[in-house]
Amino acid sequence: MVRFGIGQSAARREDDRFLLGTGRFVDDIERPNQAHAVLVRSPHAHARIAGLDVGAARAAPGVLAVLTGADYRAAGFRPLPCVIPLTSRDGTPRADPPRWPLAQDRVRYVGDPVVLVVAASRGAACDGADAVVVDYDPLPAVIGTAEALESGAPLVWEDVPGNRCFHWEMGDAAAVDRAFAGAARIVERTLRNNRLAPQPIEARGAIGEVGPDGRLTLYVSGQGVHLCRDMLCDDVLGLPRDQLRVITPDVGGGFGVKFFVYPEYPLVLWVARLLGRPVKWIADRGESFQSDVQARDNVTRAALALDAEGRILGLRVSIIANMGAYLSNFAPFIPTAVGNPCLSGLYDNPAIYSEVRAVFTNTVPVDAYRGAGQPEASYVVERMVDAAARELGFDPAELRRRNFIVPNRMPFRTVTGLTYDSGEYQKNLAEALRLVDAAGLGARRRAAKGQGKLRGLGIATYIEATEGVPDDSVIVAVGRDSITVVSGAQSSGQGHETVFAQVAAERLGVDMAAVTVVEGDSDRIPTGRGTGGSRSLANAGPAIVLACDQVIAQGLDPAAELLEAARADIEFRDGAFLVKGTDRRVSLFAVAERAEAAGNALRAEGTYVPTAPQTFPNGCHACELEIDEATGRVEIVRYVAVNDFGRIVNPMIVRGQVHGGTAQGIGQALLEDTVYDAGSGQLLSGSYMDYCLPRADNLPPFTLAFNEVPSPTNPLGLKGCGESGCIAAPSAVVNAALDALSPLGVRHIDMPLTAERVWRVMRAARGG
Amino acid sequence: MLYARPGTLEEAVRLLADTRGSAFAMAGGSDLLVRMKGGNVEPDLVVDIKAIAGLGEIKQTGDGFLIGAAVPCVAMGEAAALKTAWPGVVEAASLIGSRQIQGRCTIAGNLCNASPAADSVPALVAAAAKVVVAGPKGRRTIAVEDVPVGPGKTSLARGEIVEAILLDKRPQRSGDAYLRFIPRSEMDIAVVGAGVSLTLDANGRIESARVALGAVAPTVLLVTEAAKAIVGTKLDAAALEALAGACSAACRPIDDKRGTVEFRKQVAGVLAKRAAGIAYERAGAK
Repeated sequence: MVRFGIGQSAARREDDRFLLGTGRFVDDIERPNQAHAVLVRSPHAHARIAGLDVGAARAAPGVLAVLTGADYRAAGFRPLPCVIPLTSRDGTPRADPPRWPLAQDRVRYVGDPVVLVVAASRGAACDGADAVVVDYDPLPAVIGTAEALESGAPLVWEDVPGNRCFHWEMGDAAAVDRAFAGAARIVERTLRNNRLAPQPIEARGAIGEVGPDGRLTLYVSGQGVHLCRDMLCDDVLGLPRDQLRVITPDVGGGFGVKFFVYPEYPLVLWVARLLGRPVKWIADRGESFQSDVQARDNVTRAALALDAEGRILGLRVSIIANMGAYLSNFAPFIPTAVGNPCLSGLYDNPAIYSEVRAVFTNTVPVDAYRGAGQPEASYVVERMVDAAARELGFDPAELRRRNFIVPNRMPFRTVTGLTYDSGEYQKNLAEALRLVDAAGLGARRRAAKGQGKLRGLGIATYIEATEGVPDDSVIVAVGRDSITVVSGAQSSGQGHETVFAQVAAERLGVDMAAVTVVEGDSDRIPTGRGTGGSRSLANAGPAIVLACDQVIAQGLDPAAELLEAARADIEFRDGAFLVKGTDRRVSLFAVAERAEAAGNALRAEGTYVPTAPQTFPNGCHACELEIDEATGRVEIVRYVAVNDFGRIVNPMIVRGQVHGGTAQGIGQALLEDTVYDAGSGQLLSGSYMDYCLPRADNLPPFTLAFNEVPSPTNPLGLKGCGESGCIAAPSAVVNAALDALSPLGVRHIDMPLTAERVWRVMRAARGG
Repeated sequence: MLYARPGTLEEAVRLLADTRGSAFAMAGGSDLLVRMKGGNVEPDLVVDIKAIAGLGEIKQTGDGFLIGAAVPCVAMGEAAALKTAWPGVVEAASLIGSRQIQGRCTIAGNLCNASPAADSVPALVAAAAKVVVAGPKGRRTIAVEDVPVGPGKTSLARGEIVEAILLDKRPQRSGDAYLRFIPRSEMDIAVVGAGVSLTLDANGRIESARVALGAVAPTVLLVTEAAKAIVGTKLDAAALEALAGACSAACRPIDDKRGTVEFRKQVAGVLAKRAAGIAYERAGAK
């Protein structure tokens, strides 16, 4: 019996060091003779740099280097890349304005880096930064997503007319037009997906270092060392890849935000080489608000066509997506190819057309954040389905039932091009309604009314298309008493050290304690695709299994020698090789020792090439909430999430993932909003005083259930789970609020559901 | 910067009075240290008052309670007699920051920080609390609402510090309450705060009342019209509506992203009604 194999809630092995404060994050690393970098950032949303005087800064005590955008260009380095090619519907390529790590002649958002100051101490670097004199010539700024397209809006880029980065489309517009022409009912809404400022608890940071041989090392709080190395070498610094080692130690949260190459990373490498000493940069929280990519920020016009029986005929969507001032590495990918295919939801929708107009504004760049386009798509689908149910007079659950893709139609190819492999959508919905006690809602609603509260129940089904990549590699090596699993994924708190070890321990029949997981070093790991898109276990898991199987095969010969038997008579079971039909056995580790002595150590690289590009976690959330009629305050009182994540390796970790994701989704729905002053472009919600993250007391206890329908497309039956919570929660919460407000005739409200916003909607509905 | 930790009030007053530069008295430091860290103030002198004898004590006298300027809010929550007599004041003090902050912060500091959104101040104003101020010219006792004069500004003269806050002994059939409205449910800055203190006559009619609002004007407001609206009533629906109307009318709030003028006015009325209801119930129970 293997302790802590697949399906068991093994305690997270990494938590001891996190809870005891012995984790090792980038800021815990002190390199010998390390210097400190700070950035002078733009205080203006949009300005021309009329003059720059760094003389006093260079002369300031302790200052070692002061570098400008001109210095960067003179050094021959290149702008940060956006690696997503994209063609507009008229055939032209997307706009591709350069994103220099240090501003050239203009700054385009508050926080845009302008000058790098390096000193022997952080304090001296801050004083040096204060001595930098920048003469700004302020220009008009454009902030709002929809406003960016208005005629006469200030231009973020002079050579990008109308601030339009691209105009992309997906689907058959004519087919959708035909569907709408034959519809009994068309439901339309304009939905705003609020801009979020993601908040990993560990701020970003990096250390650049040059070795005696001139080779560079970057310590960085990231989500995958290879992508970072390759982008820096190939696109930015012009270095051979073997001249840069990227190391990522413990990472305190990522959520997508740390996937990317940011301006500070080439800068610390460059200045480390110039000075011949390590240079550390660590963001403070205010800097995180001004420099980490932000998220969501779409304005969507959606129309859903249905027949008289409530069957969906087609969906037409027009999205304006805010890119911020510059294109971050993957920015155009998020509102287009990641999110839009999921507009089919769990429904048999025969006609979908979507167009996306991406715009530049004088705001922090936008890129992937947990869910990355899919929360936005799911929000559109589930808001529209709910709206349709209300307008057609259906129970929202019934309208969904009429349109669900049923299990006997799996695999099901959606009109958006996804192939759903499995799922029991009706069953998940029914279970969610049972757990939330939908049948008892009427009585609870009446009781609440007596207390001056409007009570409502909202449901949201969801499907997530996890990020697919062509292949993933893992190395499994067996030593004399331990097993090492080397993975190119990168944990930022998910628990890879535990879960990957569980998979290997089960396959090799050893105790999980014998397995060590290695991540985060481009010198130790030949290839890897990092962690994002809920893909790590679904991709690394099967690769671990493949590598384990190869290691077992490698052990057959040395085992046969040790057991003095024919190779054909050897089998592997429960951590040992044995002679079939006898009790003669030898442990995996003894075989590994023998193999190593013979110069053939047990070591294999497993490369998993998925048979399907994606997996499809799915499920149903149900939210019940109360609204204070006098103040508009919203309180969530019940919350249920029924999930199909396929086969579950560690239920406790999966629960944690759902809790965290759901909390983030509730945060978006109720509290979080990134607010810029419309005139000046100053970030008003730039600290925890003003950016309202949810806390434990804003969240109800979650009731979770799991319907494990194994994915048929990978050998472990896995589906991924990390992003599901924040995909489903926003629409579940808003649908619940609209249910509560329905007696007043309220049909629409935007996120976040602050008390004031809800109060205003109620007042308007009452004609006040 | 000079840090001093005198053992007597006289020495503290002398240090503060004699400094030419900027000088601050510090109790818990939960406002001052944050402002210093943020670079908003650069004091030349900080006088820590926690070592001054008696300032860390809550004293019950024949006239009521004397709460020393260095008493942390958490100690107020543990003072049973105070909590029984002035539950609203103690509730307000217990809403400031987190539990950790409450172990440091004081109501005297909350008052002298002079934030319009200070949590304990509306409750203290409703309670008709008085403040003992010590200074170079001796002691004086003033009404609590006379201390803050604007955001971040107090009426205290150079060298003056708050020594203690006085709460009267409660007559029979009295109750008080404080409610605040924030974007979340704890540890946040008030959008509106409402304190109500009242005393009933033998027939359950309100004999006297004080209503105070926070975060709706540059200083905490004592709303006499609101008190008039409920005096002589049994807090019936009409009285409550009149109370809410008076509170909304008295507000002079700002528009910011935490709340607009309209919303703050609305919530001020709602909170005042609810706080009055709680205070009324408490008074009836005693």
